Amino acid sequence: MRDISSVERKRCERYAVVFTTLIAALGVAILANINTGNVHITLSEIIGILSGKAVDGNAYKIIWMIRLPRLLMAAILGGALAVSGFLLQTYFGNPIAGPFVLGISSGAKFIVALNMIIFAGAFHGQSSWEMIGSAFLGSVIVTFFIIMVSESLKNPAGLLVAGIMIGYICSAATDFLLTFAEDSDIVNLRGWSMGSFSGMSWDNVKLSAFVVGLTVFITFFMSKAIGALQLGESYAKSLGVNVRRLRFFIILLSSILSATVTAFAGPISFVGIAVPFLVKHMLKVSKPVIVIPATFLLGAVFVLFCDLIARCAFAPTELNISTVTSIFGAPVVIIMLMKRRTYER
Amino acid sequence: MQSYGDVTNEESHIDDYRDNLKMELCHLSVGYGNQEVIGDINLSIHEGEIITLIGPNGAGKSTILKTIAKQLEPVKGNVYISGRDISRMSYKDMAQEVALLLTDRVNPELMTARDVVEMGRYPFTGHMGALSGRDREIVEKVMRFCDISELSNKDFRKLSDGQKQRVLFCRALAQEPKVMILDEPTSYLDIRYKISLLKLLKKLRDKKGMTIIMSLHEFEMAKFISDRIVCVKDDSISRTGTPEEIIKKEVLCELYDLSTEDLAYFEFIM
Repeated sequence: MRDISSVERKRCERYAVVFTTLIAALGVAILANINTGNVHITLSEIIGILSGKAVDGNAYKIIWMIRLPRLLMAAILGGALAVSGFLLQTYFGNPIAGPFVLGISSGAKFIVALNMIIFAGAFHGQSSWEMIGSAFLGSVIVTFFIIMVSESLKNPAGLLVAGIMIGYICSAATDFLLTFAEDSDIVNLRGWSMGSFSGMSWDNVKLSAFVVGLTVFITFFMSKAIGALQLGESYAKSLGVNVRRLRFFIILLSSILSATVTAFAGPISFVGIAVPFLVKHMLKVSKPVIVIPATFLLGAVFVLFCDLIARCAFAPTELNISTVTSIFGAPVVIIMLMKRRTYER
Repeated sequence: MQSYGDVTNEESHIDDYRDNLKMELCHLSVGYGNQEVIGDINLSIHEGEIITLIGPNGAGKSTILKTIAKQLEPVKGNVYISGRDISRMSYKDMAQEVALLLTDRVNPELMTARDVVEMGRYPFTGHMGALSGRDREIVEKVMRFCDISELSNKDFRKLSDGQKQRVLFCRALAQEPKVMILDEPTSYLDIRYKISLLKLLKKLRDKKGMTIIMSLHEFEMAKFISDRIVCVKDDSISRTGTPEEIIKKEVLCELYDLSTEDLAYFEFIM
């Protein structure tokens, strides 16, 4: 008996260390993001502005109107992206499944391109609601299609292939549109499709915080059933899980999360694959009730730091967020594949 | 609750519950979708009975087991457990009654053997799946009963196939089922663990009145352990009977399409 409790205690200690580290890292990331930029603002000024003592001047505007909404968006959407990846990996039983393998980003890109080239005729800028609306619409159309397919296709591998095919169809349609597009539209679309957190407004923050908060909350309360899926569908069923319903919810929740991210920031690569992997190996456990909150936290930290690099590395030129997440995320995926081989026989 | 750890007392109480009907298969046809694999199965299974399915590969033993475990929809007919039609039972109700061991390979990420066994408590834990003290006690007890305590903290993926099989069997026991459905439970096990598994099954039947339905490839084991043997061949149940009636050269030759020439080899196997 002493043996078990000591193992259990070690695990709890590990959870405590990991969560403390993540929260501390989140604090550091937030401070770094708020404190760095083209305009130098001292820490004491920032404290003054945040506590409401200094309410005017350029510094106030930069902090309240630019940096704060931007960093909050990076944190919220980064967390959402990571949780969305975790859900899809559970669904497919495959660690390579990410939010955008199902063609969601391609769908979003197609509708964005359609709106940009055919209807609007002119580009309104990243933050415009039209842009967000069309990206969300594209994501939702693909999502509904995927849910429909998942109802009739029983095996996850088939659904994965279907998702990839939808992605190709949307890309082909987008390329078709681009043939007739203005050069400036092509450049803008390319920029959008690499993702960015610039120009986020407080309205954006409020809406995405609401959607992401609710979705992640529901996901967390489904931890128990999601955990049962780890032993495979048959055993989950034999443990009393309604697998069909669970699968529907996993796809739905994950799609809402990735659609929200795509709508506001464009497609962001590798976060959904790299973060859940890192979290599981930091915690050395795969229990969803522990992994889901940690995944959200690390997703937020990861994207905050990536956005910091995107803003600062070549300032005043800003990098696209996917450029940075790919540089850090892709090596993680390679390490993951190498580690995974150990267990394949 | 009776103790799993009590090994010395071997006396059997079979007669006390023999009359108690546990499961009924009524005009059951099993298969995939509308494709019938085996038709018109009728079988009454009593509480505390060990029923073994034997028959050639691909005859449909697994299909029958999956159907009565509510993993597959029956093509026709009904399955009753304790008088309840399983198609009307929720998965949760089923899970509190029936535990399952399949031949599916599982490869869960970052789970210890104990984590896998703890999964067996799923139908009984609260909304967030936290184990109670009683749950932990049961897990501890079944792990001792199955003699896998030393594997407890090992990564499940790093275990041998035989060890995995024993852990998964233990997981099924952690569910404290009244009925166990086991698809080729002896696969991957060496002879020592095959024998110890059969001993455990006997003990579960005799001490806990557990009803056990399984498929086996080894006749000698089927003969040793079973109360009744069901022969599955082609598209039907060709025969049902006591081990003495079934495990005979003539019956087995017919069941597996063996010629008189093959009988010479058969001597070795028996």
